[in-house]
Amino acid sequence: MSLGFVFDISLLQLTMVMMAPLIIACLGEIIIERSGILNVGIEGIVTVGSVAGFLGTFMMGSPVLGCLTAMMAGGILSLLLAYFAISMRANQIVVGLGIFVLGLGLSPLSYRLAVGVVQSPPQIKTLSGVPVPLLGNIPYVGEVLFRQNILVYLTYFLVAAVAFFLFKTPLGLRLRSCGENPRAADSLGINVTAMRYGACVVGGFFLGLAGAYLPLLITGTFTDNLVNGRGWLALMLVIFGRWMPLWAFLGALLFAYVDAFQFKVSSLPQMAKAVPPQFLLMLPYVFAMLVLVKVASGAEAPRALTRPYDRESRE
Amino acid sequence: MSAAPPRVEMRGICKRFGEVVALDRVDLEAAKGEIHALLGENGAGKTTIMNILSGLYRSDAGEIRVDGRPAPIRSPKDAIGFRIGMVHQHVELIGNFTALENILLGHEGTGWVLRAESQRGAVEEVASRYGLSVPLNERVKALPVGIQQKIEILKALYRGADILILDEPTTMLTPQEVDALFATIRKIAEGGLTVIFITHKIKEVLANSDRITVFRGGCRVGTVRRPEASRELLVQMMVGEREFPAGAGRPGAVASSSAGPPALSVRDLSLRNADIHLLKDVSFDVPAGAIVGLAGVSGNGQRELAEAIAGLLPVQAGEVTIRGRSVEKLTVAARIALGLVLIPQNRIDEGILPSLSLAENFVLGLHPYIFKRSGFFEQGTAHEMARIAIRDYNVLTRNERVPSAHLSGGNIQKVIVARAMALFRAIGGGILIANNPTRGLDIMAAAFVHARFREVREGGGGVLLISEDLDELCSICDRILVIHSGEILGGFDGPDYDVYRIGELMAGVRRRQP
Repeated sequence: MSLGFVFDISLLQLTMVMMAPLIIACLGEIIIERSGILNVGIEGIVTVGSVAGFLGTFMMGSPVLGCLTAMMAGGILSLLLAYFAISMRANQIVVGLGIFVLGLGLSPLSYRLAVGVVQSPPQIKTLSGVPVPLLGNIPYVGEVLFRQNILVYLTYFLVAAVAFFLFKTPLGLRLRSCGENPRAADSLGINVTAMRYGACVVGGFFLGLAGAYLPLLITGTFTDNLVNGRGWLALMLVIFGRWMPLWAFLGALLFAYVDAFQFKVSSLPQMAKAVPPQFLLMLPYVFAMLVLVKVASGAEAPRALTRPYDRESRE
Repeated sequence: MSAAPPRVEMRGICKRFGEVVALDRVDLEAAKGEIHALLGENGAGKTTIMNILSGLYRSDAGEIRVDGRPAPIRSPKDAIGFRIGMVHQHVELIGNFTALENILLGHEGTGWVLRAESQRGAVEEVASRYGLSVPLNERVKALPVGIQQKIEILKALYRGADILILDEPTTMLTPQEVDALFATIRKIAEGGLTVIFITHKIKEVLANSDRITVFRGGCRVGTVRRPEASRELLVQMMVGEREFPAGAGRPGAVASSSAGPPALSVRDLSLRNADIHLLKDVSFDVPAGAIVGLAGVSGNGQRELAEAIAGLLPVQAGEVTIRGRSVEKLTVAARIALGLVLIPQNRIDEGILPSLSLAENFVLGLHPYIFKRSGFFEQGTAHEMARIAIRDYNVLTRNERVPSAHLSGGNIQKVIVARAMALFRAIGGGILIANNPTRGLDIMAAAFVHARFREVREGGGGVLLISEDLDELCSICDRILVIHSGEILGGFDGPDYDVYRIGELMAGVRRRQP
């Protein structure tokens, strides 16, 4: 096996496919956390998104409607988080874990209610690649980046859009101020409650979409452990990316690459004999831990993250 | 005054917090182009009235007029609308934002895209007009407090403030920064703005204001023009005519101290934070069998001194001895074992564990001494001790099992004092440091606490009583030290105190060294 395998085009193409759901979820979480809310229910919300995306597509026959269904589901679940975390000023970790468990239970339940227990699970048609004219013809780089499905292209746009929103718009500045020092924001006439609610709902749209991506592009079916920790991984990527979309994008690429790598390697017959498959499956997570231990030290979260805001608590 | 109405006019402002009357029918007016100083001791009401003007608090009664027109101010947003801007004592900036972002936040200009660069010109224009040069691209948290304060002022001016309020603007500044600040304030006033600044420092008032309004106990004592003001007049207005209760409570002689080492001895204690001296060469003794008071306006190093002695803050230089034994490098626990007990300043943050029960809070710190035999937490003992304390100190609570956060501030304070006294007995204590122990207590409870302190004195222990209430100190202390900007400016022996002289030292006026 030559070293050239590491830069194999199909490996890198697979990397992009794996990267997209991670970064979409990660962007949603960044928006939420930048407003001062820590959403540890992310895995549950992404799971609900995946089942909503699958069922929406399966029943209405349209992947677009499937995606919208997933986004709605993600938004609603995030709204629940927002209500408890913002209006009730509950502990965000507790609420988040509750949302996680709720999402994890809700997903297979709604799947079985809608589909029933069947011998062969229903399938939806996965989205096929749409090469971008001209750009897709650039050798190597173009083939990796621009011979992809439409949602990967959307990902490129979303990374840039969220980064622009956070750092180049007045609304983004205000959102960040709510996550840093809500009292200062309030004293300047910024509605902290509204900003935080808005961030949760919009972030929830992203999380739902990330969930829908998995059945629509990777499996074509829904299985109970479809999400398989990708939500948690996105949560870690937020820290890895230091709450900045571009850095998180880089992190998502890195993890997706390791993931794709283990997938490719385990499909090679000579490797399958030499290395136990469990070891390869473990690789992305070990990698995640190692990198995070290194990177997370020194990363600085929004100052008011997890802290409810109460104007009345003023002395 | 000319025929034009004053820029700001406040009439009959009243404000109460629960039972406490913070402001009682206060009138205030400030003219265009004027630097108006509000002078008074802590709790005199000067910050409260400015918080009302800036929309943070709502007054219970009274009227505000701006340029002669009624100005109903209900929120900070309303105040901004009336071109009123306030810079609080502790700056409220976002540390991770640049100075420019902090200034623009909420006033970013129109459109969906943040055009910070095109706003920069406008900000710089305001900055140069008033000589407020600040590094706009730096993150605020990396900047010194003096610069952060300039950013706050610039933030208010950029929002078009015509009336600029500064609350104790000099407390955290070095002398050079203070000079620069007042030069800026003068420039702002010359530009036609009204500047109102709150302070307790007479020197600053005399040097930098046009008119001075003095507050005492929630009332306006009077307003004087600077040429008519003198140090003596202002001290008298601030302190008032004080009557001291004679008889039983008067301090006794310090004679008993001559035998044995002092309960507490502090020598050349210094504590610095960056360029600011928090404590500077502090030296004093608390003799055994004496109550020594530490007078001073809050924030002049009292808290740091107490924490340095207790071992909570590391010091740069100096020596502390408790009953003749040096405590250098000793842990807090070891100092307690030597006989030191501290009643902390902030009861909620440092005094209690809010969600734990009263009984659990009561045995906190006492636990190594009362559970010695079994080594386990004995519920019965804890509850029994707490019940006794509740009875003795008349703590208003349903029982000893309620979470301590459910108690009112005054009752929490009683629990903390009760616990400190129990610990003092348990360790055979030598020195009790009490930082504002009677704040929030009613007269009876305060008298009860004072009686406990006298018991300590009679038992041969020493008490260092830190208080902002000069009346309290005069009524109980054998000796009063005055602290200002981290320095002990003087000491007075009781029982007859010259409160005017003490008041002068509290305001930082050094003169006729005794």
